[in-house]
Amino acid sequence: MRGGDETALEVLYKRYAGLVFTLALRIVGDRELAREVLQDAFLRCWDGRETYDAGRGRVPWWLIGIARNRAIDLLRSRPHQARLREGEIIPGDARTSDPGPWEAADAVGLRRAITSALESLPTAQRRAIELAYYGGLTQSEIASELGEPLGTVKSWTREGMERLRISLWPLIDPKREE
Amino acid sequence: MTEDHEQLIENVAAYALDSLEGPERARMAAHVGTCERCASQLEEYQAVLGSLPIGLAPIKPPAEAWTAIRTAALQRASRGRMERIIPTKWRWATWPLAVGLVTGMLAWSVWIQREISLRPPGPDVEALARRPGRLVILTGTGVQGASARLLVAVDGRHGHLAIAGMRPLPPGRTYQLWFVPASATPATGGTFVVDTAGRAWVSIAVPMSLDETHVIAITEEPSSGSRAPTGNYLLEANAWR
Repeated sequence: MRGGDETALEVLYKRYAGLVFTLALRIVGDRELAREVLQDAFLRCWDGRETYDAGRGRVPWWLIGIARNRAIDLLRSRPHQARLREGEIIPGDARTSDPGPWEAADAVGLRRAITSALESLPTAQRRAIELAYYGGLTQSEIASELGEPLGTVKSWTREGMERLRISLWPLIDPKREE
Repeated sequence: MTEDHEQLIENVAAYALDSLEGPERARMAAHVGTCERCASQLEEYQAVLGSLPIGLAPIKPPAEAWTAIRTAALQRASRGRMERIIPTKWRWATWPLAVGLVTGMLAWSVWIQREISLRPPGPDVEALARRPGRLVILTGTGVQGASARLLVAVDGRHGHLAIAGMRPLPPGRTYQLWFVPASATPATGGTFVVDTAGRAWVSIAVPMSLDETHVIAITEEPSSGSRAPTGNYLLEANAWR
């Protein structure tokens, strides 16, 4: 992509568009908005290709981060909040389903490991992380949502993230031998 | 390890989730730039978070999405090649020509508005109501010699941002455009990087009506962007009509 070769962008798209779109839809709950997030994310990658480092990891968390930020911004926009109140958009949940026919076997294995890691968290820790990650809530907003002290929510967040890191980092570490 | 650093370590996870706010967020942003241990832990947390969507039930995007992305990417690549084609001795003329074009469009916009006010309602008035867009000029003392021009299209949802004189940023950093309402959370207009000459030309998705926007500003942020401005306004505009 650094050479301005759109073929490389197409390869990146074919590999990660499903992941980005799934995340966007989970956050914004609307297919048109999710498509907007998808397009914005890949075009920003294209614009920022000079700074992309292919050695950063097995999962392009930098691409996921761009998509998530855009989705959260849309989620917090006034028109979207209005549509949520009117019931036009139903926020999705994080439940998984059987793999689609187009998923590679190693992706299925990783997905099951991630699902298992999340399900092994205490409910409070998982809820705190999901509200922050998929809902874009601040620690204060999560404390208010759950009716818990801010310090308690921060502890849940830290402990839950540390458990996920211990479980998942060995699977996604870029230095891991394949 | 100091008690202060202990508290910062406590917040790395929340910072990775982009879930801190205000001074606490700004303090973490400054700290991870200087602490190798916290920066390493942050990177691991970000990678773990980036993998969480893999645990969701996969959903295929619409087929036409790729067509739109490819078209836009080719247009941007073509603009980049045009810049390289223009001879160096003529590059000084590009900004004056752009300013002249924008000035002409503004004059045309004023003329159209005048025509609308003079003519009675009817199909021809409706056609004249198609203003070419709105222009916002961003200036500031954050970066000397820098400026930006935001042209918002007639639909109010799309636009283009032309930047000049901004410092190219190191890896891990980006510029971000903000639309700030009078009494609500700022909304992002996107992130961008400039070329070695300090210039950029970026398509923008305008997150809110300019009539509801109090300030438009550009800040420097981490490469994945931020949910709210964490730095000073490098360029800003607070009056446009």
